[in-house]
Amino acid sequence: MFALARLSLIGFVVLTIIYFSLSLYSRAVRRGKLEQEWDEEGMTGDKDAFIREGLEDYDGSLRRKLILGVYIVPVTLVILIIYLTNFY
Amino acid sequence: MTYIRWTVIVLFWLLVGAFFHYTLPQHDIVRVSDTYEKRVDFGENSWFWSQADAGNDPNTANRDVFFIQTRLANGKVMVYRNEDTGWGWPPYFKFDTSNLQAEAADLKSASSEPKWAVIKHYGWRNEFMSIYPNAISVKAVDGPDVTIIPWLNIIILTLFFATVWAIYVRWRRFRARRIDPVLEEVGESFEAAGDSLADRRGRISRWFASWRS
Repeated sequence: MFALARLSLIGFVVLTIIYFSLSLYSRAVRRGKLEQEWDEEGMTGDKDAFIREGLEDYDGSLRRKLILGVYIVPVTLVILIIYLTNFY
Repeated sequence: MTYIRWTVIVLFWLLVGAFFHYTLPQHDIVRVSDTYEKRVDFGENSWFWSQADAGNDPNTANRDVFFIQTRLANGKVMVYRNEDTGWGWPPYFKFDTSNLQAEAADLKSASSEPKWAVIKHYGWRNEFMSIYPNAISVKAVDGPDVTIIPWLNIIILTLFFATVWAIYVRWRRFRARRIDPVLEEVGESFEAAGDSLADRRGRISRWFASWRS
């Protein structure tokens, strides 16, 4: 069980680093897109409020939840490999 | 400098190639002639052995290891070890060592009435270090001529080289945009410094010349 605990711990740390990096990157990309949209459409008013609203929409979106796949995909892969190697 | 550069690059890719050749699964078509177990005292070849069966004490100095003796379709012999990889590296997550040994023993056949099987394995056989490839699975096949397409290796290697290419292209672009201009600037200012130095030396030697005459 020690080996499993070690794998889980290392895996969790590595995947968490990837998850946070990807989250920050994705949010920055979304912010850039919102800014671009504002500039291209020549909108008037409060630009900061527009971007904040857009990012709040993004926070609740499915796209953001998809980043959880960083955890789900490797765990599924490991379970699949265990099944194929030992029980298939 | 170019020789050193190319030596490092070639060594690096040889290492990468060796890593994949050792770790990725390969298939052999074999006739299992016998199965046995023997005690192994791990020495300087301990890198090339896996670990004790999952759940057993991992810190023992030696242990019994299962082996599968075979004759390959091309007539050569090959001996495989049969060990758990457990939760460790390489990530085959193999826990069914004893079951695999039972399957292999079941496929045992003599050369007069050969039963052919395909063994999936990773690792190397090396007589000088007493290391053996680790069998992952064994499956009966119709004859010695079946073709096996290594889909998994194709997918993994394609993904790997795509990633390497993506990083390489981005690094090239980054260097062209950010590093080369800076180096050029440094080079230019070095040249300028050299010019002014030469100029000054010229003036001094001219002054000396005037003084000498």
